Amino acid sequence: MKYLLMICAGEDREASTPRMGIDQWVEESDRAGTRLLGRPLDPPETAATVRVRGGETLLSDGPFAEAKEYVAGFDIVDCADLDEAIELAANHPVAAFGAVEVRPFFGEFDFPDAAREWARTEPSESWALFMCLDGIPATDEEEAAIRAGSIAWGERLTERGTMIVGQPLAHADTATCVRVDGGETLLSDGPFVEAKEFIGGFAILQGVTRQEAIGLAAEHPLAAYHRVEVRAFEDA
Amino acid sequence: MSGPGASSSAAARAAADTAFREEWGRIVAALIRRTGDWDLAEECASEAFAQALDSWPRDGTPARPGAWLTTVASHRALDRLRRARRGGELLETIGRDPLGPLHDEEEDRAMGELLEEPDEIEDDRLRLIFTCCHPALALEARVALTLRALAGLTTAEIAHAFLVSESTMTRRLTRAKSKIARAGIPYRVPPAHLLPERTAGVLAVLWLLFNEGYSASAGEQLVRAQLCEEAIRLTRALVTLMPDEPEASGLLALMLLQHSRRHARVDQHGDLVTLEDQDRGRWDAGEIAEGLAVLGAALRHRAAGPYQLQAAIAACHAEAPDPEATDWEQIAALYEVLGTVMDTPVVHLNRAVAVAMAGDADAGLEIVERLDRGGELAQYHLLYATRADLLRRRGDREGARDAYGRALELAGTEPERRFLTRRLAELGTDR
Repeated sequence: MKYLLMICAGEDREASTPRMGIDQWVEESDRAGTRLLGRPLDPPETAATVRVRGGETLLSDGPFAEAKEYVAGFDIVDCADLDEAIELAANHPVAAFGAVEVRPFFGEFDFPDAAREWARTEPSESWALFMCLDGIPATDEEEAAIRAGSIAWGERLTERGTMIVGQPLAHADTATCVRVDGGETLLSDGPFVEAKEFIGGFAILQGVTRQEAIGLAAEHPLAAYHRVEVRAFEDA
Repeated sequence: MSGPGASSSAAARAAADTAFREEWGRIVAALIRRTGDWDLAEECASEAFAQALDSWPRDGTPARPGAWLTTVASHRALDRLRRARRGGELLETIGRDPLGPLHDEEEDRAMGELLEEPDEIEDDRLRLIFTCCHPALALEARVALTLRALAGLTTAEIAHAFLVSESTMTRRLTRAKSKIARAGIPYRVPPAHLLPERTAGVLAVLWLLFNEGYSASAGEQLVRAQLCEEAIRLTRALVTLMPDEPEASGLLALMLLQHSRRHARVDQHGDLVTLEDQDRGRWDAGEIAEGLAVLGAALRHRAAGPYQLQAAIAACHAEAPDPEATDWEQIAALYEVLGTVMDTPVVHLNRAVAVAMAGDADAGLEIVERLDRGGELAQYHLLYATRADLLRRRGDREGARDAYGRALELAGTEPERRFLTRRLAELGTDR
């Protein structure tokens, strides 16, 4: 089963001793074959939030939620079950001072070869798009249109080699937050930030400029109802 | 009209009742493993019991009620799966998405195995306990799920016991089951490296369940008393399933020893009676004897944890024929050890009482003052009630009065407030 591990930093929490370093964590989970892809992100200050209202693209700088906690990076992992994903998350050094949110994807999907390739190389002109849902209810017809539109958007970008991987996440109710304190794993039910808004899907784009990425984000059907956050990768 | 028919039908109903309590968890647990569908498992178990209530009074109680119920529930499950498959095939033929993967003969065979009561069934119940108490679920969801799936309480009963609306409880249960399915919470007994932590988690849920019933902090003692009995029953089952886990036995002993005092701890007005003032003749001798035996067996493992230590403390009280005979030195010593494995302010507060009762009131008060300065128990009425009691025993009536006043401001239930008011009045006034 595939999970997205969202590495959340910025919490006001004193660091307890990390179980191992990030490099070591990456190495070990790669060796175990559980980690499919993952990278740290630029700080949220460099993010762009894209909304489309009345046909007009509204752009704002910074992350979508004014929260102390932010997603500092993410990993896609393939685990037998939630217990295995939790263990992996608990071993991540950030769990000792921030939190790692473990979220299942919405449904199974084949991990694309392009993503394997991308994971092995230095990312250039690559962007992470987070679909941030803020609970604005859409009618059933609208929901169906959003679903169909999202699939078409993904297929179009995959075909031209822009989208490396993109997948909706299971509802925030299925999230588990993992923290480590003094060697003890502490779990909490629900996403890492207690807010109306939560991350409902994500995609990685490559080979486009920031401006183009923002334009593509605006074309995503969710931008008309919610927001899409465009994040840069560290050192990209 | 009453005749032999009526009494045998009453007997059949009683048999169905007993079978329900004993078999519900087993049947649900086995059906979940076979079908992976919690709702289906609960519904089929419910239908089997409804059918028992209908046919046992008429046809007589079967020789093996558990096997009868398992068979009926399994057939129901099989029927439903077949119907779902037919529905899926039908949808496919008219060009729509099937409901899910088709069930093949293998699945039928797997369901058929259920009818043969495989040894797996006991393990199933343990799987179910660990899954209901999985730490990735919210604590309140773990408690609710345990009562629903294992103890067979209805959603309405659980909602009533926790003083929330039925729709809130339905949502809580639905959300928990959906998380189990969609987040991939495994249906299993955890592997060895996770087992100690997860077992502690299961025991914590059962202990919380017991205390919800025992302390009834939100009133409504009658409906909540059932929670104590369910907690004891579930813990007893856990002890059978994990005979080598002394903390599970320790928890069972602790519950039994606490529960043995239930009739003596409140008077006819519903007011609390302190351990010292309780009529020990009203303690349940049977539960005490069982509690002591279970504890004795647990302690032989020589791995005393928090539950065994607390049970040992409860045993000291249970074994004293009158308050004066209480071995307070032993109790203080046990609290000292407990404080090292369970370093919480409440444990230290209880240690303070024991130390004072063992003869050193000053040392006891000193612990209380230290806790007060720590501030963690600032909103806990028993901190002030304890201080008041220790001051009263030392003859400091003024100090005791102040402390009782503070305790009274913080006390949660009516009986607690009445008790404190009475104590305050007993101090009299020297103004």
